[in-house]
Order: sequence, then C-alpha cells, then structure tokens
Amino acid sequence: MTRKNKGRQKVEMVKMPNESNLQVTFSKRRSGLFKKASELCTLCGAEVAIIVFSPGKKVFSFGHPCVESVVERFLTRNPPQISGTMQLIEAHRNASVRELNMQLTQVLNQLEVEKKRGEELNQMRKASQAQCWWEAPIEELNLPQLEQLKMSLEELKKSVGKQAEKILIQNSNPPPQFFPGSSSNGGINLPFDHHAKNNTGFNPNMMPHGYNNNPGFGRGFY
Amino acid sequence: MTRKKVKLAYIPNDSARKATFKKRKKGLMKKVSELSTLCGIEACAIIFSPYDAQPEIWPSPMGVQRVLSQFKKMPEMEQSKKMVNQDSFLRQRIAKANEQLKRQRKDNREKEITQVMFQGLTAGKVLQGLNMLDLNDLGWIVDQNLKEISKRIVMLSKGGGSSSSATTVQYSSSQEETTAPVSASQGEKCSGFEQMGMEAMQKQQWFVDLMNPQDNNMGGFGGEEVMFPFGDGGSTHSSLWSNPFYP
Repeated sequence: MTRKNKGRQKVEMVKMPNESNLQVTFSKRRSGLFKKASELCTLCGAEVAIIVFSPGKKVFSFGHPCVESVVERFLTRNPPQISGTMQLIEAHRNASVRELNMQLTQVLNQLEVEKKRGEELNQMRKASQAQCWWEAPIEELNLPQLEQLKMSLEELKKSVGKQAEKILIQNSNPPPQFFPGSSSNGGINLPFDHHAKNNTGFNPNMMPHGYNNNPGFGRGFY
Repeated sequence: MTRKKVKLAYIPNDSARKATFKKRKKGLMKKVSELSTLCGIEACAIIFSPYDAQPEIWPSPMGVQRVLSQFKKMPEMEQSKKMVNQDSFLRQRIAKANEQLKRQRKDNREKEITQVMFQGLTAGKVLQGLNMLDLNDLGWIVDQNLKEISKRIVMLSKGGGSSSSATTVQYSSSQEETTAPVSASQGEKCSGFEQMGMEAMQKQQWFVDLMNPQDNNMGGFGGEEVMFPFGDGGSTHSSLWSNPFYP
C-alpha cells in the first residue's frame, strides 16, 4: 500500500529506527495524547496529569486542574480537600473551560466547512479541465497554447481594469439617480446590487462595497 | 470507531459518562504506552476518576515515582515551559485551528478567483457581477498567471526542446556566460552527460552550477525571486495590482 503516512496501518511496537521519523512521531503523538487527555477531562470530569520526556530531554506535561495538584494528590494519598474557596475557584475554572471548548468546536466546524468547500472547488477545476485546455496547469501547455492564453489574459486584464474604473467613477459621483427606463444590467450598476447579479458561485459572505470602497487595494482579506 | 461525533462537553448521562470514562481511560493508557515504546522516552500518567478514590496510573507505582522524581529534579523553568492545563491547552488548539482556517479560506479564495478568471476568458459578462475586492483579486491573479506564462514561453522558446529538459538548456547557456576559459570545453561536455572523460575539476564546476542555477539569462525576469503564487514571495513591483492576500 503506497501512502504518504502510516495512518490506518499497523505500526510495530518497537523503538523507531529512523531518528527523524522518531522526532516527528513524538511530536504528533504527544499532541494527540494531550488532546485525548483533555477530552477525557471534559467529557467525564476526570482529574489527570501526564508527564512526558521528549527525545531531546525536554519535558512536556498536561494537567487538569493542573499538574501540581494532581501530582500532590497522588503523592499525599489524601482525598482532595474541597474548601468553599476551592469550590468557587473550581467552578470558575470549569466555566472558562466550557467556554473554550465551545469556541474550539465552533472553529473546528468552520474549518471542516472550508475544507469541504476546498474539495468541491478541486473537483470543479478537475471537471472543467477536461473540457477546457486552457485550465490545465501551465507546465502542460505547448507554445502556441501559451501564446494564445497570454493574449486572452491580457485582454481580460484590460477588461478588469475598465470595470474597476467604472466602479470608481460611480462611487465618486453623488448618490445614484434612478434613471427610469434603464435596464437591470445596462447603464449604471447600483452599489449593493452586486449580489443579485452574482452568479459565479462566489463567496456570498463577502461584504458588498458601496461607498466605502477604498481605492487602496492592498488589503489582506478576512 | 465512533458512528457519530461526540460533543465536547461534560456528559450529563451518568451511565454513558461512566462507560465513556472506562473506554477512554483505557485508550489513553494505551497511547501513553505506545508513545513511550515507539520513541524510547520516559512518561507517566495519573488519572483520578469520580468513581474511585484510587488513581489509575501508568506505567506502575514505581514507574510513576521514577518519572516524578526525574521531573522534580528539573529546574522550575524547564518544568513549566511546556506545562499546560485545560485552559492553556485549549487556547493553543483554538489558535492553531484559527490559523488553519485562515489558510484554508485563503486557498479557497484563490481557487474561486481562478475559476472566475477562466470564466472571464470566455464570458466577459461575469465581470459585471464583481465588486472592487473581487476585481482587485482577479487582477492580481491574472497578473500572476501572465508572469508564469511569460516565463514559460521564454523557457520554451530558448530551449526549442521538450519542456522537461528546459533546465538542461538553461545550464548550458549559463555556462557560456560565467567562466570564460572553461566554457568552451564545457559547452561541448554539456550536451553529453555520457562523456565519462570529464576532468574532475570541470565536473565539479558543472555540479556547482547545477546546484546554483543562474537564471539571469532569462529575459526580463532576471533578479526576481522564484515566484510563489499567493505565497510569501510575491513581488509586486512589476504588477499593476498590489497583493491582496498579503498586504
């Protein structure tokens, strides 16, 4: 089986022979171990301490409520002292953890959505590549194709510039007049109308830019 | 494996919680053990459940004591440097996930804009549905593509051969430019790796050039760093549009 990684494959339980693989494995598995410990604490209300020494002799530890308290509890063999203050602290801590777990869940869900979207887009590209030669990666094109594509792109570039100019001019004008008789797409494109005409399967979450257009284009996005 | 996703919150149902605890505790112990074996490192785990006054531990009481004393021997700072609790650990995870999200969104955005670009080639009307942000990004990616295409055209025009051997062509011409006295003989040797009669020194020179390709003979793109579309290498001084992805 040719795979990039050994996931879902059996791994022999002996010390890994390859030094750098060992490092990587340590890193990944330690991270996964802490994740599992964290989940155990959240789901079942357990108190946990895990101490791990790295191949490089550094020490990593995870503890809930904290490493020291769990270790103390282990060493002194005393039942945990629950004073009134302790309970309050505990309650606060748990509330905060609850919040964080919710936040994490939210972000992970969003991530999954975006990943699916990415897959979707990949599929779409693949499908259209079968139909349109110009969508193939540049390395696969021959010279005449490249020349033709170059010309088409240069044309497109001009059109994009023109359209951008058009919008800038619109926005620097006084508030749009409603010209009776103008077709829905003909003359003036009213701001905030973009979504209505937008059928390119674009990100609908994008804020429409009306008069807030900043001609300084160099912004990051999101 | 789980059939459905588990919600990351305290399990209200007592029996479900107890069952989950049993399973996950077992799994956790297994994972610690595997980590220790595979990587040849020392580790220990202490788990207190609401069901038992006695903790569950790994590897053994002696083993735990050994690791604990090893741990305590370390300076305070070393102990706490990589120490986390639920709070800090979750914050780390959230930060990481946010980074991944940002990256994924950027990638998706790039793919979408590229799609619009291809649509724009055949149906110019799509441009009218775009706002300034989109047009900006579109202009940028058209530029990026044009750059790559021009580079590619130059490469192919010079070589006149197959695309994969373009690199070979590149080196022979750079050879001619750099070292004058050696170049003549090297020019001949270039075309035939099979010539085993290469002088050791010339071989070395060839190898050095192979490792450090000089692309200052590549038309108008000399001096520009290797282009990473949407990456950190995007030089924008020659393009009309500033980089929308990395301001």
